[in-house]
Amino acid sequence: MLAGVVQKGELEWEVPIGFVPGMRVPGKFYLSARLEEILEEGAVRQLANVATLPGILCCSLAMPDIHWGYGFPIGGVAAFDLTEGVISPGGVGFDINCGVRLLATPLGQRDVAGRRDLIDAMYQAVPTGVGAKSSLRMDAKTLDGMMMKGARYAVEAGYGLPGDLVRCEENGFMKAADVKAVSGKARQRGVPQGGTLGSGNHFLEIQVVREIYDPEAAKAFGLAEGQVCCMIHCGSRGLGHQVCTDHIKILEESTRKYHIRLPDRQLACAPIGSPEGTAYFGAMAASANYAWANRQVITHAARNVFKKLFRIPHEEIPLIYDVAHNVAKIEEHTVDKKKRMVCVHRKGATRAFGPGCPDIPADLSSIGQPVIIPGSMGTPSFVLKGTRGAMEKTFGSTCHGAGRVMSRSQAKKKISGKEIAESLARQGIYVRAPNEAAISDEAPDVYKPSSEVVRVVHEAGISRLVARLDPVGVIKG
Amino acid sequence: MSFSELPHTADVRIRARSETLEGIFSDLTDALMQVMYGKFTAIRSETLVVKEVRVSGDDTASLLFNYLSEVLFLTEVGGIVFVRADVRVTGNKLHARLFGEVFDPARHSGGTEVKGISYSGLEVRNDANGYIAEIVFDV
Repeated sequence: MLAGVVQKGELEWEVPIGFVPGMRVPGKFYLSARLEEILEEGAVRQLANVATLPGILCCSLAMPDIHWGYGFPIGGVAAFDLTEGVISPGGVGFDINCGVRLLATPLGQRDVAGRRDLIDAMYQAVPTGVGAKSSLRMDAKTLDGMMMKGARYAVEAGYGLPGDLVRCEENGFMKAADVKAVSGKARQRGVPQGGTLGSGNHFLEIQVVREIYDPEAAKAFGLAEGQVCCMIHCGSRGLGHQVCTDHIKILEESTRKYHIRLPDRQLACAPIGSPEGTAYFGAMAASANYAWANRQVITHAARNVFKKLFRIPHEEIPLIYDVAHNVAKIEEHTVDKKKRMVCVHRKGATRAFGPGCPDIPADLSSIGQPVIIPGSMGTPSFVLKGTRGAMEKTFGSTCHGAGRVMSRSQAKKKISGKEIAESLARQGIYVRAPNEAAISDEAPDVYKPSSEVVRVVHEAGISRLVARLDPVGVIKG
Repeated sequence: MSFSELPHTADVRIRARSETLEGIFSDLTDALMQVMYGKFTAIRSETLVVKEVRVSGDDTASLLFNYLSEVLFLTEVGGIVFVRADVRVTGNKLHARLFGEVFDPARHSGGTEVKGISYSGLEVRNDANGYIAEIVFDV
């Protein structure tokens, strides 16, 4: 382990105050010995830098999928006092409300075995990759609707079922959205991309529930062994990326205006209640809503495919849950034994609210929130449940995925996209992508093993394993 | 054209080297296009679309950030793949003429979307041989 980092438990590590100058609270992260080998010093430094921000509460946190990010490390979580604290796009990321949702179908593995036409049909139905255009007829009013009411807008426009909304974090939209804080440029990027998947690590995957670890929770969530599911991973597309870019510029100035001393320019921020902080929060919430609407539209397209190929009505393909993993939110947490409202930044981290939290679906109140952790291409994904441990230790947060260990250029040199596709095909996983590079960029071994990342959060008690899902088909951009 | 990719786990880190500051801006435009659209052969020049960019910045780093953010916006919204950038920098202001071809999925699908230009590790310096810039594209 890096010099100066202190082990606090088998899986818990502390970065003490003083690791970098100006830290107000310690840093804390979760990691196993196996993941320690691939820990980057830069990521730990970023974790420590976050601890210097005004109004940070308790500690600067990172999940076991920690890696070098923009401003905050990816896997970073930090909560801020609403009066003294700040809000920073560096704590959210470019892809605002990048997130994951899981749909369950009544199909079993035999129904989809060898059905390449299912993946081909999904690839046709969901615009995918660089330059892919929306099939929606979007105008300014539609865009406003998506930004104001998120998944609710999409459902009301016919892209989904009312029951989908209660299975989304925030019921599918944040009320704080302020479309006036979204620039004309961001709108221009948003209009042609509504309902598109994007590229990079975004995907739509057909999976089979292979193992159940917690039968009670799995049953409550609506998952059974052998069941075919559909996972969708995407975010706010160019709209969110532009909102981040625009507000970084504004917040660079407000950092000076409010005399905030930063160890890293990427942590540009403003007091949460300041005009600049409020504008960013409103624009970020609008982008988050756009992302929820986006995943809802893609959900509708996926349901149409199942309906066409397998004659399954939409109602028999329920949404298990939808989680955001790049977002800042105002939430109630217990700090120093007192309940209070705080601003939680999650940057490549997932909300994992435990049993009894008012913000989770009423029928899951005794279980905890479903937490969806996508694997990398060709590797298992996991469903977990939120815990009281997460409420006590991590502001109700857990990991978000596997986390990269190899750069894209290294990945391309190591193995070709064609070879990877062939190797996956031998394992019964069919991949559709616009080009070979899109496959080699996201090859399974460029990521930390997702099973080890979820093992750490499970054993640390900040979420608990419910089910494992193995992929059988992937579309990616 | 002179740029190379440096190791970066999650994103794409580029180093450009040029005798002039303008050359850095032009090379990084090429780098951005290559990351987004892969390597492709430009079509004949008479059919190119021309776009003008005017930006300012507090320092060279913010000028570069603002310029590349604008290029990213123009390429994504306009569906234009830029093949040449004529850049002029005067103090803290920049004027560029960008020449591009219309996005064609058959020829420009070898890359990955760039979400934004990052201030992370953004550095422009000069030595006896000219200018060096390092920048991260968030992908």
